[in-house]
Amino acid sequence: MKSQRHLKLFYSRRKLLKLSPLLLLTGCDYSARGGVESFLGKFQQFTDWVQEKVFDPDKLAPEYSDKEMTPENGFRVNGYSTDRPDIDIEHWTLRVEGLVEKPGEYTLQQIASLPKRVMNTRHCCVEGWSIIPKWGGTPLKDFLKTVGANPQAKYIYVECGDEYFTSYDMPSCLHPQTLLCYEAYNKPLSLEHGAPMRIVMPTKLGYKSAKWITKLVVTNEKPGGYWEDQGYDWFAGI
Amino acid sequence: MKQYKQEYHHPFIIRLTHWVNFIAFGIIVTSGLRIYNASPIWDFTIPRDLTLGGWLAGARQWHFFGMYLFVANGLMWVLYNIFSRHGRRTTILSRNDLDGVFPMILYYLRIHKEHQLTRKYNPLQKLAYTTVPIIALGGILSGIAIYWPVQFSGIASFFGGYDTARVWHFIFMGTLVLFFLGHIFMVAISGWSNFVSMITGWKKTSTPPNPP
Repeated sequence: MKSQRHLKLFYSRRKLLKLSPLLLLTGCDYSARGGVESFLGKFQQFTDWVQEKVFDPDKLAPEYSDKEMTPENGFRVNGYSTDRPDIDIEHWTLRVEGLVEKPGEYTLQQIASLPKRVMNTRHCCVEGWSIIPKWGGTPLKDFLKTVGANPQAKYIYVECGDEYFTSYDMPSCLHPQTLLCYEAYNKPLSLEHGAPMRIVMPTKLGYKSAKWITKLVVTNEKPGGYWEDQGYDWFAGI
Repeated sequence: MKQYKQEYHHPFIIRLTHWVNFIAFGIIVTSGLRIYNASPIWDFTIPRDLTLGGWLAGARQWHFFGMYLFVANGLMWVLYNIFSRHGRRTTILSRNDLDGVFPMILYYLRIHKEHQLTRKYNPLQKLAYTTVPIIALGGILSGIAIYWPVQFSGIASFFGGYDTARVWHFIFMGTLVLFFLGHIFMVAISGWSNFVSMITGWKKTSTPPNPP
């Protein structure tokens, strides 16, 4: 009787051992880590949705006096990988595509001939540091009007002279402080800061202020971004 | 034989919010420390093993999940304490409790031997359980100031601007962590039954049920 029970136990243990490869399988395919990551990724869609609701298209980012501005020698560069973008400043143009009436190549002179906005606004890096440079450039909304962009379109995607790319919601692009920036501290942008033209968007985190932009696409399909595709929040409003 | 009385100590909502808060607070502190490391305010960084999220993007995802959990859960706790008889009687500091705060400090410092006869929470505890949510509110508001310095620029300037708000956010966090450590210490010296009561609701007291 006792030995029989023992045998049964032994047998079931053997059966259990046969199932052990399943344990490995769960280890690979259904790891808690993967589950948590996909949950957090989904939750990020919720935080992005809240960000979109909180964004007030009429709310201006604080503008600071020249006294409060970061001095030019403190104009920090956050190079992440590229110090040498594939940019020919002399022959640079901005290529415009997508839902626009007048697609094509636009020169710096054409864009800079539109009204200029100069502003000392805070540039907040996702890392936590911030600076207040003096930016100068063409409000993107004015340029979008010039190229006949469909204001009903949902997104704008930009590509840069390095590997960088990112995208935006249309309301943020129509914000009066969103610039096609070509000047800092009243001088043409330096190469390390995105010459000849970058985006400046004081309503979003720094990684949305793309440097060395070369292409702008107006679209209804939600594009990603270099950092956004790796886990950073897409809306990135501040 | 020693007699025990079972006393119902913690209503369900209190127990639930207590443990959800434990998890949410753990998430926001550890992921927040990883975010701090991306651009340290002072001359130190936090050891990696104490942080959550792996890298900045991961830590931010954890932090933003944790903060919504923390706020929603905290809101539930606050509303319960304000609107239930239980909360008003046991948790929220009232004017009558103020006189009892100082004697309780003396008791804990072992200057007074007599423990005041109080309800479930003594005046010092009530002071702590009323102050801590206010500090947490400071943490939330300073968090809003650095999460949305443009959309809520008024809150950011209330904290002295974006950079100073980061410092405040760190200070509020540090204060809450200190409270947490003190809380753990008090729980450790208060015995097992006290700890169990935060899970089951019931606490064993060694007083006989009805004195003969």
